[in-house]
Amino acid sequence: MSRAFDLVVVGGGIHGCTAALFAARGGLSVALIERGALCREASGVNAGTLTMQMTRVALIPYALRAHAMWADAPNWLGHDVGVVVCDGLSLAFTEHEEALLADRAGKRREAGAPIELITADQAKQVEPGLGPGVRLAGYCKVDGFANAYLTGVAFRKALLEAGVTLMERTEASGIDPLGGGYAVKTTTGAVRGRKLLIAGGVWIEPMLGWLGVRLPIKVLVNQLVVTERQRPVMRTVLGIASGLLSLKQYPHGTTVIGGGWQGEGDRDRGGVALLPDRLIGNVRLACHAIPALAEARIARAWAGLEAETADALPAVGPIPGHPDAYVCGSVHSGYTSGLYIARLLADRILDREPELPLFPIDRLLAVTETA
Amino acid sequence: MSASLLFKPSRLVAVTVEGETRQMPEGMMLASALAATGLRVLRRSPRTGAPRGAFCLMGACQECAIHVDGALAQACMTPVREGMQIELRGAR
Amino acid sequence: MNRVPGSSDVSSVDVIVIGAGPAGAEAAIGAAEGGLAVTLLDEQGASGGQVWRAPVGGYPGKRDPEAAAGAALRARLQASAVRAAFGHRVWSVVRDDSPDGLTPGFRVDAVGPHGNLSLRAPALVLATGAHERVVPFPGWTLPGVVGLAAATVLLKSHGLAPGRRVVVAGCGPLLLAVAAGLVKAGVEVPAVADLSRRFDWLARMPAVLGRPALAARGAGWCARAALSGARMLSGHGVRRAEGPEGVERVVLGPVDAQGRALSGPEIAFEADALVVGHGLTTACEVTRMLRATHRFSRLYGGWIPEVDEHFETTVPGLFAIGDGAGIRGQQIASLAGRRVGLELWARAGHADVGGRRGSDFESVDRQLARARPFSDAMSGLMAQRAGQVADIAPDTVVCRCEDVTRAEIDTAIDQSAGSIDQLKHFTRCGMGPCQGRYCGDTVQELMALRLQEPREAVGQWTGRPPLRPVSLGELVGEFNYDDIPIPKPAPL
Repeated sequence: MSRAFDLVVVGGGIHGCTAALFAARGGLSVALIERGALCREASGVNAGTLTMQMTRVALIPYALRAHAMWADAPNWLGHDVGVVVCDGLSLAFTEHEEALLADRAGKRREAGAPIELITADQAKQVEPGLGPGVRLAGYCKVDGFANAYLTGVAFRKALLEAGVTLMERTEASGIDPLGGGYAVKTTTGAVRGRKLLIAGGVWIEPMLGWLGVRLPIKVLVNQLVVTERQRPVMRTVLGIASGLLSLKQYPHGTTVIGGGWQGEGDRDRGGVALLPDRLIGNVRLACHAIPALAEARIARAWAGLEAETADALPAVGPIPGHPDAYVCGSVHSGYTSGLYIARLLADRILDREPELPLFPIDRLLAVTETA
Repeated sequence: MSASLLFKPSRLVAVTVEGETRQMPEGMMLASALAATGLRVLRRSPRTGAPRGAFCLMGACQECAIHVDGALAQACMTPVREGMQIELRGAR
Repeated sequence: MNRVPGSSDVSSVDVIVIGAGPAGAEAAIGAAEGGLAVTLLDEQGASGGQVWRAPVGGYPGKRDPEAAAGAALRARLQASAVRAAFGHRVWSVVRDDSPDGLTPGFRVDAVGPHGNLSLRAPALVLATGAHERVVPFPGWTLPGVVGLAAATVLLKSHGLAPGRRVVVAGCGPLLLAVAAGLVKAGVEVPAVADLSRRFDWLARMPAVLGRPALAARGAGWCARAALSGARMLSGHGVRRAEGPEGVERVVLGPVDAQGRALSGPEIAFEADALVVGHGLTTACEVTRMLRATHRFSRLYGGWIPEVDEHFETTVPGLFAIGDGAGIRGQQIASLAGRRVGLELWARAGHADVGGRRGSDFESVDRQLARARPFSDAMSGLMAQRAGQVADIAPDTVVCRCEDVTRAEIDTAIDQSAGSIDQLKHFTRCGMGPCQGRYCGDTVQELMALRLQEPREAVGQWTGRPPLRPVSLGELVGEFNYDDIPIPKPAPL
């Protein structure tokens, strides 16, 4: 069986879903192929942080625009994804962290993020739940979080209403370039498209490999923790100058603790093990920032895979040597910025000029021997 | 009072439950000691506010997790000690 | 036996045993007899598991064969060289193989009275036992509704009757034991309702008669309950429990072999407690987390780890015994524990003292084989009935922790692309404090029914730590900010 579309998107995470949605609304017939369920991988298991203070400097302009999209999700997506817009603080507890914070906050502010440095006392006004020991804080009003595990249910309805052909539980196993277009091989037959978008998260490396393109992707295994419901103990999104803590309490009372502490796993097996010493270290940072968290119990810990390129900047743009083929992934804080970046790429796919530059992958391609 | 003790406790001690003093058998598991004094509703469910109490009695279901001396503890596995401060924050 | 103090350093031992019930305690004692350094962990305050729960709080306990067996086991453990860490909740187990990958190893972390305890050993024995299964019905979450196994804990260990007028319902061998126990304790039992029909028991008679002593006790329980005036109903289940703030009324009705309601008269009883249980499910969270191979067995309680004749799982060095590896009852649990103790001793290369070791293995294997028919008969009575799950009414709460109803689950199944993890994300089933222990079996069955797929295809939720809820305070202990090993910060 074979079906033909204007655009075939491989990968149903936030990048694939967003690009598919805007491409369909732009008039293309779109198929979205996902081997599992929508937004079940990184997009559904990340900490949901929508902060400028952990976003790469180069991505600040994108993150700011994505933040506005998140806040406006009920209008364009038809679902609020549990988004809470609130203040954000990045904390410094040591002299070294003060210097780090001042430097990073400064650079992010230059890039457009409305971050100001405030004193410990001022930080305590913003976040009464703070523990002692804060020396300096970065304060940003454009901050907040989403409920990552709702992303799939949020996109599903919008995609179907936009007329996207949704193929969940359908694994892609290869891509054959055709005369004018591509045939994606799947377990239920080939799916043909004039245009192709590879948005497979940590799997974009093997997928690009199907086209003979070598783009090494490092797989990060991020550990996360969520508590049981607790009385309100914090009102901001918190981080630490080093970037190794993300902390927020949801309206229903649970608190998610992240920060990129690494567990064990790989692309093939997923996140296999959470390392206890690293869980303890991460949780210690959280309790140091908000001491009242100590009384809450941990409900669950889990791991999510995140893609990282060699220079830790996104891989978003056309695939060299393959007309009308695109890749979107490895954005780094991809959840925060992904909505806007994927929408930019959708513009490009619709032959419109994107508002901001994409991140062409030529710079990342491993040198291969020419045949 | 419905739940009933099957023995005569050797020692009763004073504990505080939601601000009120009660006498309970020392060393008895808290969930059962509370039931024996007529208190079976330990919390309310998160969405509908329905009454909940101890269910599995083996530390798995978490229905009996209440605040003992400020920290959450499974009442079915916590022995009564003199002076314990018990709060049913989830039942308010 | 020595007590292990809390420590933030990792202590190395030869064998770690998780669970001090009949299976775990036997394995620990056996391995220690062979000279191995064994640490035994249990969240309860004493060994015995569920079947032999120690009496607490001044309650002398019942005087019956179980109480005597439990006391005997505790005495043997006390006299052994096993280091027991009671009151310790295991929250993390990870593989910790040697750097060359040739020697398996495990790191276990448990929170106890003195903080976090970290242990490492090349062999890990899991004897984590079972959870009760209660298939939801309207009113099952009311205070005063407790499980059958829960009621045995109350009667044997806590010294409490759950009410003064108690209906007993469900299935399996615990049903009559609990009913008789309540009657003996002076409680009024207006009705005993067994999902099984008389035919189910008759069909199992040959196996039951293979254990004449137990069979006689069972007959005695039945007689005691009947003679007390209880209505003995077979082929009946609970239609609903009613009451504003706790159970006050229980309504029973006829069911078929699969537990589906049959048209027929409902019978209502005034009661202030309902004891109900529909079998047991395996507590195999650790093997699931370590990604051992599992298979689905309705007979043995659900998903169980695959083990060889040494009770070793597909993860080298990881053993699984007792009800936590498949619901087979106490006798097989004790024998399996003894066998693993022997096996660990043999692997440590200890001298075969007078050829005893070989015949010990044979003896245990023979006893295991002899115990199977009765054990299988009891397991069969407790297996999950698909019809009973299918019957759950749309507005009945299925996930107690998160208040999720059958109707919400069915709607979400349709949107979840066959993924039980996606279903969890759409409904919050399995995200609450019980970590899916009480709704998991039911939710999986609902998904299989709705998608018309076998249970094997539906799978289970991914196993993740913590294995028990631990408070952040217990986990972090006392620490200095500067001591936290901060990894390299993210690039700017």
